[in-house]
Amino acid sequence: MESRPLYELADVVYRYGDHFELAVPNLSIPAGSSIGVTGPNGGGKTTLLKLLSFIEKPYKGTIFFDGRRIREQDHHVTREITILFQEPYLLKRTVFDNVAYGLKVRNERGNITAKVRGALNLVGLPYTVFAKRQWFELSGGEAQRVALASRLILNPRVLILDEPTASVDQESALLINEAVRSFREKYGTTLIVASHDRIWLSTVTDSIMKVRKGRLESFDPENLIPGPWIHTDNGLHTKALSDGRHIKALSPPGKQTTGYLRPADIVVATNCPSDLSTQNILEGIITQMTFENNEKAVFLSASVAELSLSCKLTQAAVEKLRLFPGKKVWLLFKASSFRWH
Amino acid sequence: MKWFSRKWLLVMVVLFVCILGLSLQAAAEDKVLQMATTTSTDNTGLLDYLAPTFKADTGIELRWVAVGTGKALELGKNCDVDVLFVHAPAAERKYVEAGSGTDRRQIMYNDFIFIGPKADPAGIKGASVQEALKKIATKGASFASRGDNSGTHKMEIDLWKAAGLAVPDKESWYIQTGQGMINTINIAAERDAYTLTDRGTFIKYEANWKGNSPLVILVEGDEALRNQYSVISVNPEKCKNVRYEYAQAFAHWITSKKAQKMIAEFKLIGKQLFTPNAATK
Amino acid sequence: MDYIFNGFLKAVELLASGNPETYSAVFTSLKVTSLSIASSLIVGIPLGFMLGYFDFTGKRQVRAVVDTLLALPTVVVGLLVYAFISRRGPMGELGLLFTIPGIAAAQTILITPIVISLTATAIESLDRRLGMTLIALGARGRQIIVASLLEARYAVLIAVVTAYGRAISEVGASMMIGGNIKWHTRTITTAIALETGKGEFALGIALGIVLLSLALFLNFLLMFLKRRRIA
Repeated sequence: MESRPLYELADVVYRYGDHFELAVPNLSIPAGSSIGVTGPNGGGKTTLLKLLSFIEKPYKGTIFFDGRRIREQDHHVTREITILFQEPYLLKRTVFDNVAYGLKVRNERGNITAKVRGALNLVGLPYTVFAKRQWFELSGGEAQRVALASRLILNPRVLILDEPTASVDQESALLINEAVRSFREKYGTTLIVASHDRIWLSTVTDSIMKVRKGRLESFDPENLIPGPWIHTDNGLHTKALSDGRHIKALSPPGKQTTGYLRPADIVVATNCPSDLSTQNILEGIITQMTFENNEKAVFLSASVAELSLSCKLTQAAVEKLRLFPGKKVWLLFKASSFRWH
Repeated sequence: MKWFSRKWLLVMVVLFVCILGLSLQAAAEDKVLQMATTTSTDNTGLLDYLAPTFKADTGIELRWVAVGTGKALELGKNCDVDVLFVHAPAAERKYVEAGSGTDRRQIMYNDFIFIGPKADPAGIKGASVQEALKKIATKGASFASRGDNSGTHKMEIDLWKAAGLAVPDKESWYIQTGQGMINTINIAAERDAYTLTDRGTFIKYEANWKGNSPLVILVEGDEALRNQYSVISVNPEKCKNVRYEYAQAFAHWITSKKAQKMIAEFKLIGKQLFTPNAATK
Repeated sequence: MDYIFNGFLKAVELLASGNPETYSAVFTSLKVTSLSIASSLIVGIPLGFMLGYFDFTGKRQVRAVVDTLLALPTVVVGLLVYAFISRRGPMGELGLLFTIPGIAAAQTILITPIVISLTATAIESLDRRLGMTLIALGARGRQIIVASLLEARYAVLIAVVTAYGRAISEVGASMMIGGNIKWHTRTITTAIALETGKGEFALGIALGIVLLSLALFLNFLLMFLKRRRIA
């Protein structure tokens, strides 16, 4: 996995009228990472996403993309980034023309039909049924999926999603989640996504940040580990990860219950330890590190198979262990650390 | 209605572009003589009758605007036309003296007549012009005036003056229409009023009623009622862009034997309208 | 009452037999309005777009001026244009008086404010999200303008149809600038004015029927477009 920062924000301030301000003293997002954004409505999530997609310009400060300062005329760069909003807006054209629009403005006219077919398939809309439909002949969920298809067809380097499933029906939400997950798996797209769907976020993102009252806050990212939990002989329950490894937990109340694991309860080691009482010793790779100035704490996200686990460390520990994104680490936690709500 | 948005729009746009092309093409035509003439000439159809022959003889296309004589002279002064065909000798002379026009030639004449309701409330039938006007003024019988500074209007004012009367500008029975001859006759008919008109326009008006006209001829044949038409070229020294050559061609043609004979032969509903009197060469 | 009925019969006959005088006036009207519509769109749509799309100081004042110009009286425009294109006037060299392009110029002045104002309104009432969506999809500069106008196409077409209706039914400027010259600048409206004055109702009624049909057609188009816009 790459670890070079794709975005770097330095002293960025955005103002809207007298009332609203978003300030980001520093933030770096590695290429190929997948970041979740949470926080209350009106806290600045959408503004942050618009800044990252270069739709809005900061009032002060600089956003570096790929190590470069981006100017307005750098279309070839900003065209590698696309954003999908909570309320989709479809052009007053057919579904086909909506999905193909981005390719047309890029003058990429080869193979359009096949590409549109592929993109519509990805979001669960059969080409023969939907391609010729007019913009007003779609349900809200279908419209959002068309909007997503019109972004995915661009094969962007950065895909930014702002609450993509907040105002659609459940079936569409599932299809959107699935489409985004499989798309990212296939292309390694950098993904920045705001969502209230915590469980989906935890499966699709490596780390989560929280925007509240115009400030980035460390998101005390309780790790969510969904079921199913399988009962084993020695009294423990296990959840199988996609690569065949297991997570062990003590007495979950139900088979499908989601387990919560506090970041502070995870211990990080740079060598594989042995002879410990902890049931879980998992190898992973650091994907992101967020520094908390006031608390001298560091949030570290590490990917373990399909999961992303957050751990809270002191700055001293980070320095001692010489941790950095991309480094291989071992995460240790007890089977009894899980809490169940 | 899905078919609308594409195909229909395309058809309409193509049609539109075709008409556009036509109108631009029409703008680029040459050899045009622009004339200002009076409504009475136009209404009788005399120019419709002469223009094709003029074009055949000289290759020049005659186009005319029909306005009152006052406006026609004004158009000449503004250099907006090339030639005038009007009937107000006094004003014409002044116009030529001021240098705006040149080469005034007499072409033809017709005559004015007084018309009024069959009942003839002021009793002017068969009277002389001066008597008739005095009777109308004394009785306060309704009288419709062009009031538009046209040749007919100027003639009417001259007649009031010749009869020793003030122009009854503010009298309640004096209706100033400010419109063309036919309109003024129509108004006179509606209001049971007398009016002064050229004979040609009245013949046409009368024909429309098929022998049942509410207005009839009451005074005619007086020497004072002769209506002389002339052609004046707009002075090229005052107006650079004027097509003086064409104006001269027209003046030459209309005074030719051929054209004069045509004018004499021009009949409206079987009646001769104009008597040619150009000094033919 | 007879003459109205007879006029009507004669009118149908004139139209059916392809009477050249009647059709000359119809085609002159179509030529004039096509020219004036084309030029007012070339001028009005970009200006309307800018007025609706961009925020600038004095925008409200400009808007107020344009909206005032909507009520421009045709005879005043006729007078102004006459003064300019008369051979004695500043643009006399062009020889536009008593020509079709001359009438079209006056009508363009008359209807361009309609195109500007209604286009600006159309662009203003576009969904706020459109601009961001276009940028998100990679549209830039001219592509954004074209796509925005396309999004507002029904509203812009309403502007076009409204302006066309005003141009084709206008009589004051056509009469003053065109001079009502038979076969050349005699339009439907000036012919009706003249023929009614001459007491020849048949031709007037025939042309009236054509004008009414055009007006009805335009109105149906407007109704259809407005419905379409709401959908």
